[in-house]
Amino acid sequence: MKKILTIITLASILFTACKKDEEITSTPGKVSLNFDAVFGTSDFALNTNFNSGTKTYNFNKFRYWVSNIVLVKANGEEYVVPKSYYLLEETSAVTVQDGAYTYPANKRELVELNDIPNGEYKGIKFGIGVESKYNDNLSLTIGELSQLNGMTNVSWMWHTSYIFTAIGGSAVENANNKTIKIETGLNANYKTVALNFPQNLTIGGSKSNVINLKADVSKALDGIDVIATPTVGAAQATTMTALANNYSTKVFSVTSVN
Amino acid sequence: MTKAKVHFFWLVLYLAVSSCKKEEAAIIATDNRYYLAIPGNMPPWVDDVDNPLTNDGVKLGRLLFYDKRLSGNNQLSCASCHQQALAFSDGMRINDSGVSKQKLHRHTPTLFNLLWTNKGLFWDGGSTNLESQAFGPLTSMDEMGQDLYELEFELKAVPEYRQLFDKAFENGITSANVVKALAQFQRTLVSANSRYDKFKRNEGIQLSVLEMEGMKVMEQKCKSCHAGELFTDNDFHNNGIDFSYNDDLEGIYLGRFRVTLNPLDMGSFKTPTLRNVMLTAPYMHDGRFGSIDEVLDHYAHGIRPSLTVDKRLYQNNGQLGIPLSSTEKSAIKAFLNALSDEEFISNKKISNPY
Repeated sequence: MKKILTIITLASILFTACKKDEEITSTPGKVSLNFDAVFGTSDFALNTNFNSGTKTYNFNKFRYWVSNIVLVKANGEEYVVPKSYYLLEETSAVTVQDGAYTYPANKRELVELNDIPNGEYKGIKFGIGVESKYNDNLSLTIGELSQLNGMTNVSWMWHTSYIFTAIGGSAVENANNKTIKIETGLNANYKTVALNFPQNLTIGGSKSNVINLKADVSKALDGIDVIATPTVGAAQATTMTALANNYSTKVFSVTSVN
Repeated sequence: MTKAKVHFFWLVLYLAVSSCKKEEAAIIATDNRYYLAIPGNMPPWVDDVDNPLTNDGVKLGRLLFYDKRLSGNNQLSCASCHQQALAFSDGMRINDSGVSKQKLHRHTPTLFNLLWTNKGLFWDGGSTNLESQAFGPLTSMDEMGQDLYELEFELKAVPEYRQLFDKAFENGITSANVVKALAQFQRTLVSANSRYDKFKRNEGIQLSVLEMEGMKVMEQKCKSCHAGELFTDNDFHNNGIDFSYNDDLEGIYLGRFRVTLNPLDMGSFKTPTLRNVMLTAPYMHDGRFGSIDEVLDHYAHGIRPSLTVDKRLYQNNGQLGIPLSSTEKSAIKAFLNALSDEEFISNKKISNPY
């Protein structure tokens, strides 16, 4: 009997041992990503005129998917944030499915990341849009990916997939007034952004950390003649590629970390 | 320790360790897997890794496929335009029975042997899989015009759905699980029991002399695209039904080009299968040909030249078209009739359950 008790004790130790592995020993860190939308040197706002060269813009929407966030440690090791798919936006109400329902007006610039391993970090990487695995199959839901927020194309007119980025509103140049609908999507336009922090960031302990980023809408439109091409969709492939490259290389920057 | 106790010790240890792997075991040890019988003359198939067939999933998919709750006006189900008696097509050139009552821009395709459709759905392959594809007709105002929030709300009101969704999927009634269930049911729509199949499998059926002659002509003159036992290569070709391709309606007339943006794909559309073809008139992506005779006449002497017309439609002397005598046409039609699968269109396992 004693031996059986020993065995049971041993087994219970083993059981607990299983669970222990899953928990990380030191307190994992919290990091907020603050994606501040701007237009050049001004804060971005809806229904407000912004001048850029000879054009004046007025926006009703700026939306984009941020995905597959990776935090880069000072020694080059990478921590991949699991299930990191977030919809960042500043938008008026969006009519979804030809008006079947309305997605409410919303402003969302903050992403909270939990359980980040302690350590010293030097940079961040993330995707703009959704990679092919999820982009090709709208039934595979993960993170905030959803068909319900007007950031998918389910019509016949596109490849059935996510809209990666969307800018909407109007543009005026020399009394030429255009409604603009500037979107990216399609697997080839899934791009990664890689940014270094201004100085290393120590994550851990009880302190919560902030990474302040800037998303500059004027840079997204850099080199895009929206008067000549007010609608950018799948049929405007060259312009869409140029836009996607802008998002990858120019739009985002890290202003500070603490 | 005695020998028995040592064994007991190892058993306890094994149980303790295996309990760590609980999640994996739960996935592997499913007895809910749907058994799909595929006749021997059909090509090998693989189940979808992200949405494997299960008994509950297929059962649920069938209920949803025939349920009018899936449309915004609760008057249309998938089966309204994909009717079993017509091999899951609708018999109309262009359908206009959607919620908006507007005419669609393309002809309703058949739904069967989709297990093997690996190069995209829709006439231009614009959807990668059945799951994503389903969101198109579900939400389009010219088709079922359903609000996906409302769909979840309506389905949650039905106790049988609540039970079945819970059994079939981890997270119950969601629009993503609706399309997964629909995809599972559609993958079980296998048509491979025509007279041709039974002849091919030596199941005691003999084809007539004319049908045999038709099979020979068909193999010589049609099989390069209507290939193999599926009678389609699942690929995209320009079969010369137009001289030019306008880019109205965001490129819907551009065919596969709309998706690939490859100039060689201009005006190319998916090869439809010839199985059940005599049940599925009208023909072409826009349903322009009302009868199989018109289709055969098109290939014989109606092909319109353009830069991207498929090379297979040129003869050795550079002439466009596939020469077909009237005897050959009659023989082809006789053979095509042997490709109609009466068992499939009357199979009670896939019929309307309501």
